[in-house]
Amino acid sequence: MKLGFGKIRDALKGGAEKNTGEEKKERKEEELEPDRVEEVTMKTKTSEQKSEDASKTESKNEPENEPENEPMIPADRTGARKTGLIFFPAFDWAISPTHPEREERLLYTRDQIFEEGLMDLPQIAEYKPRLADFRDIARVHFCIPDIEAQATIPHRISAGSCLVLADALMRGEVKNAFALVRPPGHHAMTVAHGNRGFCNINNEAILVEYLRKKYGIRRIAIVDTDVHHGDGTQEIFYNDPDVLFISFHQDGRTLFPGSGFVNELGGPKALGRTINIPLPPGTPDEGILYVLDTLVLPILKDFKPELVLNSAGQDNHYTDPLANMRFSAQGYAKLNEKLAPDMAVLEGGYAIQSALPYVNTGIILAMAGLDYSCVKEPDFRPGMFVQAARDRHVLEEIVATQLENWKNRDRLVEAEVAKHGDFYRRKKQIFYDTDMIQEFQEETVRMCPDCQGYVTIDSNAHRSINDTRIFGVSVPIYACASCQAEAREEYRKRLNYPEYEYVYLQDKKADEYRAYNTRKKQETVY
Amino acid sequence: MLIGIDVGGTTTDAVLIRNGEVYSTTKVSTERGNLLKSLLNALDEVSRGVPPGQLERVVFSTTIITNLIAEGKTDRVALLLIPGPGVNPESYVFPDSFYLKGAMDFRGREIQLLDEAEVRETVSRIREQGFSRAAVVSKFGQRNPSHELRIEEILREMYPDCKVELGHKVSGKLNFPRRIATSMLASATGERYQEFVAEIKKALEERDIRAPVYILKADGGTLPIEKSVAFPVETIFSGPAASTIGALALTPEGQTSVVVDIGGTTTDLALILSGKPLMASKGAKLGNFLTHVRAFAVRSMAVGGDSIVRVRETGDGVRIVTIGPERAGPAYCMGGEEPTPTDALRVLGLVEVGDLERAKEAVASVASSLGRSETEVASLIVDTTAGIIEKAVREMFLEWEQEPAYRIWEVLQKKKERPENVVGIGGGARGLISVVAKKLNAKPIIPEYSEVGNAIGAAVARPTLTLNLRIDTQQKVYSVAEEGEIVNLNSTDIGNFNKMRSKEAEALAAKLLRERAKRFGISEYADEAEIANSEVFNVVDGWLTAGRLFDVSMQIPAGLIPEWKRREKA
Ligand SMILES: [Zn+2]
Ligand SMILES: [Zn+2]
Ligand SMILES: [Zn+2]
Repeated sequence: MKLGFGKIRDALKGGAEKNTGEEKKERKEEELEPDRVEEVTMKTKTSEQKSEDASKTESKNEPENEPENEPMIPADRTGARKTGLIFFPAFDWAISPTHPEREERLLYTRDQIFEEGLMDLPQIAEYKPRLADFRDIARVHFCIPDIEAQATIPHRISAGSCLVLADALMRGEVKNAFALVRPPGHHAMTVAHGNRGFCNINNEAILVEYLRKKYGIRRIAIVDTDVHHGDGTQEIFYNDPDVLFISFHQDGRTLFPGSGFVNELGGPKALGRTINIPLPPGTPDEGILYVLDTLVLPILKDFKPELVLNSAGQDNHYTDPLANMRFSAQGYAKLNEKLAPDMAVLEGGYAIQSALPYVNTGIILAMAGLDYSCVKEPDFRPGMFVQAARDRHVLEEIVATQLENWKNRDRLVEAEVAKHGDFYRRKKQIFYDTDMIQEFQEETVRMCPDCQGYVTIDSNAHRSINDTRIFGVSVPIYACASCQAEAREEYRKRLNYPEYEYVYLQDKKADEYRAYNTRKKQETVY
Repeated sequence: MLIGIDVGGTTTDAVLIRNGEVYSTTKVSTERGNLLKSLLNALDEVSRGVPPGQLERVVFSTTIITNLIAEGKTDRVALLLIPGPGVNPESYVFPDSFYLKGAMDFRGREIQLLDEAEVRETVSRIREQGFSRAAVVSKFGQRNPSHELRIEEILREMYPDCKVELGHKVSGKLNFPRRIATSMLASATGERYQEFVAEIKKALEERDIRAPVYILKADGGTLPIEKSVAFPVETIFSGPAASTIGALALTPEGQTSVVVDIGGTTTDLALILSGKPLMASKGAKLGNFLTHVRAFAVRSMAVGGDSIVRVRETGDGVRIVTIGPERAGPAYCMGGEEPTPTDALRVLGLVEVGDLERAKEAVASVASSLGRSETEVASLIVDTTAGIIEKAVREMFLEWEQEPAYRIWEVLQKKKERPENVVGIGGGARGLISVVAKKLNAKPIIPEYSEVGNAIGAAVARPTLTLNLRIDTQQKVYSVAEEGEIVNLNSTDIGNFNKMRSKEAEALAAKLLRERAKRFGISEYADEAEIANSEVFNVVDGWLTAGRLFDVSMQIPAGLIPEWKRREKA
């Protein structure tokens, strides 16, 4: 008997680290004196392949060469009829064998959508995943100690799948797209010390920065429909007035991560661009659709984003083991039909037998514009969940408050900016539930009159055995030239500070990413 | 001695192989209305003078099922469908469908009961409406066929003359609409196919041929003809399969080749990757229906040696040459009406067929409207035709590279093969092969006997077999998708199911495959079986592992019988 597998699978069993040898070779690590940092750009894997292989039949999933800083123009999508789909269940990956984020999380979903024959439908175009590049990840995160440590192969495929679909969308091949992938990402913040809420790197954020860099998209709205507050995504775009982040979730007083309250509205220059809707436990379809109709859709209409992304968690379901909501497959399908996101990315959802097969079938059909009226869970009866009058009242108040905040957002920004001088500072404490890390952060935002201002983060992570302190500088893609220069100077200065183990530069304007190991005096350029 | 016969659309080709080498070949024209006659003509001609007792094996490929479907000579089938929750069945396009209540879920748990009164009423209705055949298919019926089986019982009781096909027996793979289509086609063609097989057996008896007779399947494997009546649909597209196996037999082992079969109006392409014919990732499409039939990844395009060459003016006034898709009889140099790629090949001296003067005349007519020289235009026509084929080859490779991946190792696997050879099979428009090869930077190969490569493929193909085993240790059952029975794990010698490992699941699969091979009379190939996929999933209740799901796929892949290989080396 012979075995049909290649060596790759065996290598995988030995852990992801062993598998990254190829990338290691390609990365240029330079030892240099901190004061004389030279500009060395890492040759990314894809650009290297590109130069070698001039063949006409270049894989459509590979990112294309483009002139530095000159975004491609998105194609007209009005003629597109298909829904792009990547189904990446990562059948060979788990956090641990009985962890909710384990191999068979999407097994029954596979069974259902394959048995339904959804992949054969002329309205569906299935795509193959690829790995996200290090640069794609560095555009969002400061990974400690390095990108490989946080973004293992499955994480890079999950994020890469979103990018494949982004390309399909921007090329006008599809009208919308759904990345039905794991592992999830919406709890991962800018600084990645470890795994939080089953997430290491943030798929939606990587997608947003990719869309902005490659296609020059400016205004994007993210609607997080996972039952947990999308605190990672919120944190990443907190000071960014171009990204509208709306999250509804089970009230943070009753569920991980314990945040996402109405008063979390964004940084001084982006006030009102973060909208949180904490829902009372037990909220059924009716309540969520009410919030959608009266708050989310009107705000979206007003914000006029170029793209709407749905951080599509499925743990609001009435059978989810990790939360207490009462959303149904029909509710999810209706939500996606009404919201009509350009792209949806799977987040949580752990009722892997009783919910996911039906919810995903519903979402796919709804996004493809097909009839989802027959999709229902075996035990579902219409009218089985009714919104309590008291909860209805709570929702009405939240909606009213947030509509008011939205209406006043420009005045709120004006008043808040006036309170701060050249810099706005805030201290944060972040807990990594999976990896048991306690992180203390100080975030500083330059209150620039010409742009949203660069950000620096001083982060100290306490683990049971050791502490790691890092410093990161981030230049927004649409930053002004003086912010860019100032930020780069901040990076240079910090290279000599012994208290930091790692110093990072994330210059999205120049699309340049650096990580400096102060102990080894080694700089990596991604 | 071995005989291979390929009944194609225009010609029926046959070879006789002796001591591992081609001994004689023949080509007769196919009578569309009488495939059997064409087949027997070819058989008689190729075996003339050979004592029937010396024949060891007869294999043929036939377009009978394809023809039956294309000509609408199929029987009406009542579809008794149990769709359960999911896609609205109203969106299906199957004819004569009767939807019934009842549902199974993905693990074969009954989530809605069958409504027996409704079933009985439906059976009465199909009888009144004059159906004599029914296909019963339930969503996830392969995970639990009890609804299908109960309906079969009711049918037998109320309408014993009705022929019944059950979805889970037709295919155990996931995809309900494909299972419906495959069951429907199997039922609709079954009787006529059975008649065809009976006639063949009778004809062979009359000729005193007692050698085992096989039919070629779309996956390039042979199936004993008696067994094939249970799987008529699997014999579709056996023509392209025969050509691919033929190319495999006629080219160096282990290489990557594009198999190009250029006919009069169409060109068929297939891929051999490192010596293995590439299978389509999903089942074949038959007419308007997607099926579960395993088939080679083949691509057919409407361009061939006899395609009409035309000059067309684009919007901005540029005149360009177009090839096909129409055909108006043979090439001009062969007495046809219109200029064709064959005429251009003749002018360039790349083929020897037909009249050179007429070929020149044909090309000149194109050249004059382009205002360019004859040779220039002949090259342009050949180049354009080869370009169409080249583009299709590149697309095939790209499609293969871009096949969806569901596992990490599949994403990491670098699919970057490029053809080393362009193999011409079928003998049509030979001159094009070298031009296509040049464009692909590959070696052109036109093997000896390439014009009957398809018949050689039939003659030397070995059997194929698949076995998809699923084990659910929580429910303590296993099932083989191809056989449709749900068996209790207690009947195996596996002691503690909860501690079961992949190794034991694979051993069980291997044992079941050997038994299945024996039933198909192909035990001697059981050792060629390989594991195509093996997976295990924990079933977790709360935070505890409550059982395991194993999925093991085994196959005897397409290949050549040892007789051919052995003698080729000698
Ligand atoms: Zn949320
Ligand atoms: Zn969640
Ligand atoms: Zn600025």
